[in-house]
Amino acid sequence: MATRVVVDPVTRIEGHLRVEVVVDEKNQRVQDAVSSATMWRGIELILRGRDPRDAWAFTQRICGVCTTIHALVSVRCIEDALGIQIPKNANAIRNIMLGTLYTHDHVVHFYHLHALDWVSPVEALKADPVKTAELQNVIIKKYGAIRDLATDFMGTNAYPKNFPKATPSYYKAFQDKVKALVESGQLGIFSPAKWWNHPDYRKLPPEVHLMAVAHYLDMLDLQREMVIPHVVFGGKNPHPHYLVGGMYSAISLEDMNAPINSARLAQVEASLDRQWEAVNNFYLLDLLAIGDIYVNQHHWTFGGGLSKKRVLGFGDFPEHYSGFQDGDYYRKLLYHSNGVVEDFARGVNNAKYYPINEKELENIAEYVQHSWFEYAGGDDRALHPWQGETKPHYTGPREGTKTNIKYLNEKGKYSWAKTPTWRNKVAEVGPLARYMVVYTAVKQGHIKPTWVDEMIVKQIDTVSAVLGAPPEVWMPTTVGRTAARGLEAQVAASVNYYFMKQLIDNIKQGDTTVANTEKFNPEVWSTAEYKGVGMTEAPRGALSHWVVIKDRKIQNYQAIVPTTWNVSPRLDHSPERSAYEAAMMDTEVKVADQPLEVLRTIHSFDPCLACSTHIFDATGKERAVVHVGTNNILP
Amino acid sequence: MAGETYWESFQKRGMSRREFIKFSTMMAGLMGLAPSFIPKLIHAMETKEKVPVIWLHGLECTCCSESLIRSGSPLASDLVLNMISLEIDDTLQASAGEPMLEHKREIMEKYHGRYILAVEGNPPLNEDGMFCIVGGKSFLEELKEAAKGAAAVIAWGSCASNGCVQAAKPNPTHAVPIHKVITDKPIIKVPGCPPIPEVMTGVILHVVQFGEIPPLDRKGRPKMFYGQRIHDTCYRRPFFNAGQFVETPDDDAAKKGWCLYKIGCRGPTTYNSCGNLRWYGGISYPIQSGAPCIGCAADGFWDNGPFHNRLVNIPLPGVETTADKVGLIAGAAAIGGLAAHAIGSAIRNTMASRETNGNNQEEKTK
Repeated sequence: MATRVVVDPVTRIEGHLRVEVVVDEKNQRVQDAVSSATMWRGIELILRGRDPRDAWAFTQRICGVCTTIHALVSVRCIEDALGIQIPKNANAIRNIMLGTLYTHDHVVHFYHLHALDWVSPVEALKADPVKTAELQNVIIKKYGAIRDLATDFMGTNAYPKNFPKATPSYYKAFQDKVKALVESGQLGIFSPAKWWNHPDYRKLPPEVHLMAVAHYLDMLDLQREMVIPHVVFGGKNPHPHYLVGGMYSAISLEDMNAPINSARLAQVEASLDRQWEAVNNFYLLDLLAIGDIYVNQHHWTFGGGLSKKRVLGFGDFPEHYSGFQDGDYYRKLLYHSNGVVEDFARGVNNAKYYPINEKELENIAEYVQHSWFEYAGGDDRALHPWQGETKPHYTGPREGTKTNIKYLNEKGKYSWAKTPTWRNKVAEVGPLARYMVVYTAVKQGHIKPTWVDEMIVKQIDTVSAVLGAPPEVWMPTTVGRTAARGLEAQVAASVNYYFMKQLIDNIKQGDTTVANTEKFNPEVWSTAEYKGVGMTEAPRGALSHWVVIKDRKIQNYQAIVPTTWNVSPRLDHSPERSAYEAAMMDTEVKVADQPLEVLRTIHSFDPCLACSTHIFDATGKERAVVHVGTNNILP
Repeated sequence: MAGETYWESFQKRGMSRREFIKFSTMMAGLMGLAPSFIPKLIHAMETKEKVPVIWLHGLECTCCSESLIRSGSPLASDLVLNMISLEIDDTLQASAGEPMLEHKREIMEKYHGRYILAVEGNPPLNEDGMFCIVGGKSFLEELKEAAKGAAAVIAWGSCASNGCVQAAKPNPTHAVPIHKVITDKPIIKVPGCPPIPEVMTGVILHVVQFGEIPPLDRKGRPKMFYGQRIHDTCYRRPFFNAGQFVETPDDDAAKKGWCLYKIGCRGPTTYNSCGNLRWYGGISYPIQSGAPCIGCAADGFWDNGPFHNRLVNIPLPGVETTADKVGLIAGAAAIGGLAAHAIGSAIRNTMASRETNGNNQEEKTK
């Protein structure tokens, strides 16, 4: 017998998401799965007619979790349109802010949004504090070699200020606290108590639970020190400030009132050390320990889905570059995740690799066949973002009423997300996708690898050795998706130091410029039409912004965001499902009314649903100049 | 401390029974209980729980939640696990779907009239609210339902307080601040996109420790955090007074940290604690990092752009002129060595020092 189970709201994500799964109770497998983005804000419509120099601030508010990423890609997009090359210092600063976002966002995701799919505070009560301390030491020894793959280009940190505590008395005191919380009956965010009865919480030994719950709180308090580079360079976090043409944070070594001087750089450096410690001393070790147990003890390799078939990335961490449409961005990348890889599950030698660069810009488009939108020319065709249109068309559910959904109507429209495609095909995006692209590109010899690419290959080979399984087995899984994110945080912690050194070396050369202001005043722009594109790898995957500027104002703006690629509804012309639906259908469910495994698989994508940004005409009429469909979802 | 009652907590902090009774009485006031209920409440606080909090999410970007966990004092871990009982919060909750919604219903019933409702984001009114769906129904409905039993409501951030980005023109979803749909409860507005971390935890702490809503201004904002304009607490204020302005980002004046008014700073019209409290325990705020304030805590700030356009008619203190004129005069003075008698003495002194290329503010004001 098959049961249709609804999970709404999906928690521990950004924004609002609903999933429905049809579970075959005999073999505990998911027969069908439906994912629906359940919010829409219309930010791109709001952007029309505004000053392109302000777009970063509006789009930044698409998401406060991956805060900064929409601002970054927005200034890249406007600069591409207007032909502005930012100074070398600004490029270094932006890369440090991006690297900082990666380490921070990935750590917060793993511990605060994902860990409770694996770890239970109630199980932690059964742990022996002495054994927990021993376990902590074993984990440091057994998996510690992974830390040697990172490179500290600065080398200023004298000793690890943050390191796992491995004493029985610490774990005992911590356990007593958890016990008091559970016994008080006020479990707060760990409510309700019955949640922890799920059998999967017995997969890990109690000592792993105690250790991981302790780290949950350690990292909750450390993460705030990890984003200080945003506060120094951008004034605050969440939502630091950006500038079309560079950065606002002027550099002067002669003035304490200067936004950036030696004292301020020292604050950034100290924070980079905290990021390094969180990633190398906690995150990677916990990740490998839990992943090893799940893969090798429980053979839990579910959740691969679309990653086995097709993944996509845009690349990031550029050296000083001039633009996107001229192709320079793709030539200057340190992180060569700009590509599509098909059939990775057949082994890296049998996978197919396609580079993504300026020649592929025309091959990205969006469908609305099963989205709560409609196209004037019919829903059967896809529209390129520069020609996109978005008109909302809410049709309600299959069962229930328009304001009380019982079951979604997957045969018709069922989501506030569109369906982005590359060459008319869906693709999975995210850290796992990026790792598959780099690994394939290097192993098949398509690119000249940078130190970042080489580090990624070494990481993947190291983890394959630890797990005793080749990449095509452990990578396209829920565990692999979660592991790739952790490995990427280690890359980012190294990239931070690399660009910090570059910034300091460049200042040493006498270059303190942080902004190219030749086109700061819109009076110098022509009133003609400018088109621009900006790309980035958001923490959650490939992100692109597309703009049309006319008469010095925004005429069209569109964002195609990573979670839209992953959450999107199905297509009529293909049996392939988007990443969430495909991954859920590749998962077992032991307890039908508490589909924890589905939640774990969905969380492995780090969903970010805030703000749908599709543009539509508020009066319901079609616009003569069509704008920008866009997406609901955030990286 | 988990499982500790308020009375135990007071004892540990060396506070007296009298202080405890006073606190409990204030809590009763906050909850709108009749005096006859006070003994009952005191009993409850001696024997039981922390203040339960239900945190809802509407149309938003979650920057408020992210900001809260950046708080240095108190730390988020101490606040969330020890000082309050955060019973419902989509962002951090372990459980999901029906088990979580069931828990929410139980909490709303068990603590009816006693829980704090914290709202991040706002409800859209168009499409019967279905631009934001939670548990198959509109967030609008969820919000109204949860407000019924709340003792007080906190409106986190600019979304809940004044609408923020999705309510900017043309406001396609007809998103509205929560006071448009909750009209019968006290609402503490904590605007900002996001609010400063310690402002958020400070508001909660005030309610928990003092048992009352913090003193509010006429717009419903806590006076202690929103009582002053950023302009009045800004470390760059002396440069404004002196007519020393950044004209273009990254120019020489930007490197010296001069006033950003001319490239659009909204500090003169924005009430917030960025200038005095600053972010991350005093590390910075946008102006200190060279960026003009965009006024993110002000009503309707998104439609007060373009952000690089300077605010007009901002008078100098005690001076019948505007910064623009001062700049012009100061510039002329610097070039021609003229004295501009019409403006105040501070300005005159500044010009004198500018003629000698002095950049140190102390020297200028001597």
